[in-house]
Amino acid sequence: MLGITVRRASVTGRFYLVYGTAISLLLGVLLAHFSGPSFATSFPLFLPILGVVGAMGGLLVFASDRTKGVLEYLLAYGYSPRRLFANVLLTTLVLVSIVVGIGVSVSLGVYFAEGHPVTSTLAIGVGVYAVPMAFTCAAFASTVGVYWTALSSPRLGVNSPVGLIPFVGILPALVTLFAIVAAGLSGPISTTTLLLILGSGMGLAAIFVIILLVSMGRLLRRERLLSPA
Amino acid sequence: MTDPSVSAGHGVEIDCRSVTAGYLGSRVLRQVSFRITEPSIYVVLGPNGAGKTTLFRTLAGILQPYEGEVYIGGEPIDRQSSRDRLHYLTHVDGLPDGLTVREALEFFARVEGAQLGDVDRVLDQLEIRDLSAKFPSQLSAGQRKRVSIARVFLRERSIYLLDEPTANLDPKVAREIRELILKLSREAIVLYSSHNLFEAREIGRYVLVIKSGQISRFDRIENVRSSRYVLGIRVLQPSPALAAYDHEGEYYLRELSGPEEVPAVLRELMAQGVQIREAREMENPLEDLFA
Repeated sequence: MLGITVRRASVTGRFYLVYGTAISLLLGVLLAHFSGPSFATSFPLFLPILGVVGAMGGLLVFASDRTKGVLEYLLAYGYSPRRLFANVLLTTLVLVSIVVGIGVSVSLGVYFAEGHPVTSTLAIGVGVYAVPMAFTCAAFASTVGVYWTALSSPRLGVNSPVGLIPFVGILPALVTLFAIVAAGLSGPISTTTLLLILGSGMGLAAIFVIILLVSMGRLLRRERLLSPA
Repeated sequence: MTDPSVSAGHGVEIDCRSVTAGYLGSRVLRQVSFRITEPSIYVVLGPNGAGKTTLFRTLAGILQPYEGEVYIGGEPIDRQSSRDRLHYLTHVDGLPDGLTVREALEFFARVEGAQLGDVDRVLDQLEIRDLSAKFPSQLSAGQRKRVSIARVFLRERSIYLLDEPTANLDPKVAREIRELILKLSREAIVLYSSHNLFEAREIGRYVLVIKSGQISRFDRIENVRSSRYVLGIRVLQPSPALAAYDHEGEYYLRELSGPEEVPAVLRELMAQGVQIREAREMENPLEDLFA
């Protein structure tokens, strides 16, 4: 099931996947080549955003399956709403790993090939913030998107949940960055404080996702997953 | 109301006991009860919004009843063994985006526990092999419906719930599909909803009518009589013997008290030299079920 859904999401959301991967690759390579050491602070900022965009295929498949009766078909064969939801979540994580994997590996390859050193800023920026936050934001977007899609009447376009969810998906990253900025207003912040803020931001988003996943049976009734009669 | 299970000698396959069901607390079906044991086609009729799709969704175990129970083969519907006896064809196509027709059928085969070899069989059976490499978005509404129906034949089940299976199909394909469904009904219970009353009369043996969420009639179709029985007669040559008859197109009309009068009327006309080309019942008795 997961393999097929990933494949379908890659086909249905190919524009998002190609866009997210290509832009992360392009910006990463350009920054690594031309910006030198500032790569460590600039590259991590946009990676979560592009991760969310690139992984939109998972939610697209869910919204389409709901409208077209595929979810209804699967429910009839004993698939639980939670299993369907988890399938979307895992698909999203696979897609974001493609965007992040290609973007980070190639960009870091160029960065090191240019002779730049490994610094603590780079390690924290990419290893502690960018990569985990990309997965966190994508999971957040996927979870909120599934609920939002299921709870609203089927509609298309920019005002649909699918159209708006990238803006919602980057909220954990934005809140975390604002918290870092706020903490830095009174002076330089320590590495410990920085790690604490990063951990808290991602941890809260992850807990939110887990709560929604666990509460799915109570919060999201199976009627919400049916095609319009 | 007649309960067909009374006269059938098979084990109870579908047992719907005082089921009340609906969506998000609103009740669409109210205290619906029936038993079906005999392999046959049961046409589910009712006006829009009467609860046909809700009934199918409840029998398929998708909607959980607020009250009452559904048993399949004596087991509650929420057991996997019950679900494995059913096939549910949704009123929408249910074709997954991002997969070709063949891939979609392979996906259905995996979900239903059918063999991948069955995919080739249904591609030929439904004459859709030429669509194998196409995506749903490249198909017409009728082609999508054919592909959707193809999954019904991937694996044999004892109960088929078919929600408007011939909607959007051209008459030739619809007839072919009806013939396939008729074959299924020799060994299986088929619940079949349709808005086409002529089709319903052609294919169904029993009719189950839903009005305002309740079953208003469950009977053999042959027992359903029109409030008016109008005989239509087409002739090879106009005849003075038909002067008193009303016209509707090429048909001469005569209202009778019932079909048992037809042989006598035809004998009388032929005795008067009328050359009869065709005689038919002009009003579909199923129409009265909507009144």
